Amino acid sequence: MSVLVGLPIALPLGTALLALLFPRPSTARRFGVVAVLAFQLGFSVWLLETVMRQGPLVLALGGWAVPYGIVLVADTLSAIMLGLSSLTALACVLYGFAESLREHEHPLRVPLLLLLVAGIHLAFLTGDLFTLFVAFEVFLLASYGLMTLQMVATRTRRALPYVTINLVGSTLFLAACAFAYGLFGTLNLSEIAVRSAELVGDVRLDLLALLFFLVFGLKAGVFPLYYWLPVSYPALPTPVAAFFAGMLTKVGVYVLIRMFGTVLPAELGWLHGLVAWVAGLTMVIGVLGAVGQSRMRTILSYHIVSQVGYMVLAVGLFSPFSFAAAIFYVVHHIVVKASLFLVGGVVLRIHGTDRLDARGGLWTAAPILSIAFLLQALSLAGIPPLSGFWGKFLVIREGLSQGQWTLVLLSLVASVLTLVSMLKIWFGVFWSKQPEGVPLRLTPSSRRMTAAVCLLVLVSLGIGLGAERVFEVAEHAANETLDRAGYVQAVRAVNQGLKGGEGP
Amino acid sequence: MTAQLDTALLVTVLAGGAIYLCLSRRFLRKLLGFLMLSNAANLVVLAMAGDPTGARAPTLHEGVDPATAVDPVPQALILTAIVIGFSVAAYLTVLLYRIYVDSGTATTPRLERIAGGSDGLDDGVIR
Repeated sequence: MSVLVGLPIALPLGTALLALLFPRPSTARRFGVVAVLAFQLGFSVWLLETVMRQGPLVLALGGWAVPYGIVLVADTLSAIMLGLSSLTALACVLYGFAESLREHEHPLRVPLLLLLVAGIHLAFLTGDLFTLFVAFEVFLLASYGLMTLQMVATRTRRALPYVTINLVGSTLFLAACAFAYGLFGTLNLSEIAVRSAELVGDVRLDLLALLFFLVFGLKAGVFPLYYWLPVSYPALPTPVAAFFAGMLTKVGVYVLIRMFGTVLPAELGWLHGLVAWVAGLTMVIGVLGAVGQSRMRTILSYHIVSQVGYMVLAVGLFSPFSFAAAIFYVVHHIVVKASLFLVGGVVLRIHGTDRLDARGGLWTAAPILSIAFLLQALSLAGIPPLSGFWGKFLVIREGLSQGQWTLVLLSLVASVLTLVSMLKIWFGVFWSKQPEGVPLRLTPSSRRMTAAVCLLVLVSLGIGLGAERVFEVAEHAANETLDRAGYVQAVRAVNQGLKGGEGP
Repeated sequence: MTAQLDTALLVTVLAGGAIYLCLSRRFLRKLLGFLMLSNAANLVVLAMAGDPTGARAPTLHEGVDPATAVDPVPQALILTAIVIGFSVAAYLTVLLYRIYVDSGTATTPRLERIAGGSDGLDDGVIR
């Protein structure tokens, strides 16, 4: 059964290649892609249920024994992330199909998105540091392609910060892989977990952990390495922007959870403190950037930075409860942020601009869209009983119980400012009057786009109302992530199933 | 250990020069900077293969002491890294050329000036 662990990578990869073989956008092609993504979503849910019941599933690729070969590990955290990425991809693809006519669809968009999904899934599943590097490169290259596909001439310069910062990040990651190999003599994450525990107090381990934080923090967009994000994301086509906004920075957060939780020893207290403080600054600086902006999608992009701060803060607080809070926050944030970007796309379609001061009147013209936005915006700001409230509540509760008053205060300030900038969008785009003589472009396609948004809104409502159940799953995932011995044991156990040897 | 000093110095020089070039305003220098930076990282990987002075290639046969051979794993890693670095460099070249064609400039400050007040986010291609 463990061979099924490879499916979330093989499935989008194979579909991408098939889509390249049939490049002409047709109804059958669209149907096939949606069917594959829906199946993948179902599979991820099944996988989550299975690994929660049976413990992690491990696949040794090519039948190589553990420290020598590459392993894929599906534990609860990975399965959660797989499900979220499948859901976001499905919603974004549906939205994209509703947004553009078949004739206008670029033949490369769907294959590139599927390659991106395959790369992200490899990053979630791999149990090997260098494969993680390769996975990052796979999805980064696909994201570069998606970013510049069909970009109009006035926007191409906006891709430059994203590409350059990620190039530097990848180079640093490669160097970090090399240092890790030099220090531990292995690239297998479970073996690194064993050997790094023996090196506690060694300055080389401290430096390496710091380098990891730099690399993955850069991908997650933490202060002061976030400036590329609000420049590039608003320039993307909406379905791509929504997927990026939902998933890409969260891959960085996932790797931070995995690295600090499972791989690096728990004794790196000074670094956890640093992580928490960097996160505190990220929350406030990101939201301050958002307050000063006058475009809907730019505001939303700054909020990604701010919200990543909450998740990284939960990682930095470093306790089983705070890890559960971080995982819950990731679940909430991916769904809400993706749907807010999709709402921004519908607004852009109806108004032709997403400037806050130029247009208005959507509250009367498109009430369903307005309600969808209001629900998600209030959720982002943390109003009960929506999902964002529980995420913030859990993080702040852990901060209070650890006596981190300043950080809690920072997160409350960020929360209030989030509400302020969300209300700014609400009054600018939805509530204010539409100027005379400017027609709203309400078309059947904008209604279909709203329907795709509603899919995510319903999931988000479900997370908020069923918060207790979601938190149980997050807690299970957090305990499993922090259980280094269990992880190592599960990975090593794969050797017994291999032909002709037990390994070392 | 000291035999690795020359590698360390080389990496320092390459990375330092690369950062200097990357911070330049001109596109071409940026591109060259990234190429140098990825080479610096590749050298770091190579250095992890062990002391290259006097060590053998990692082909083992009768009568060869494994302790005198270099570690083959980083060499496999570096091959992957070179291929990835090459493809990314190719992408960056095309992107910089596209920006040059689209905006008619090959330096970053002028790029900002050409953009002027417009942030290019309005009313994009709606499909």
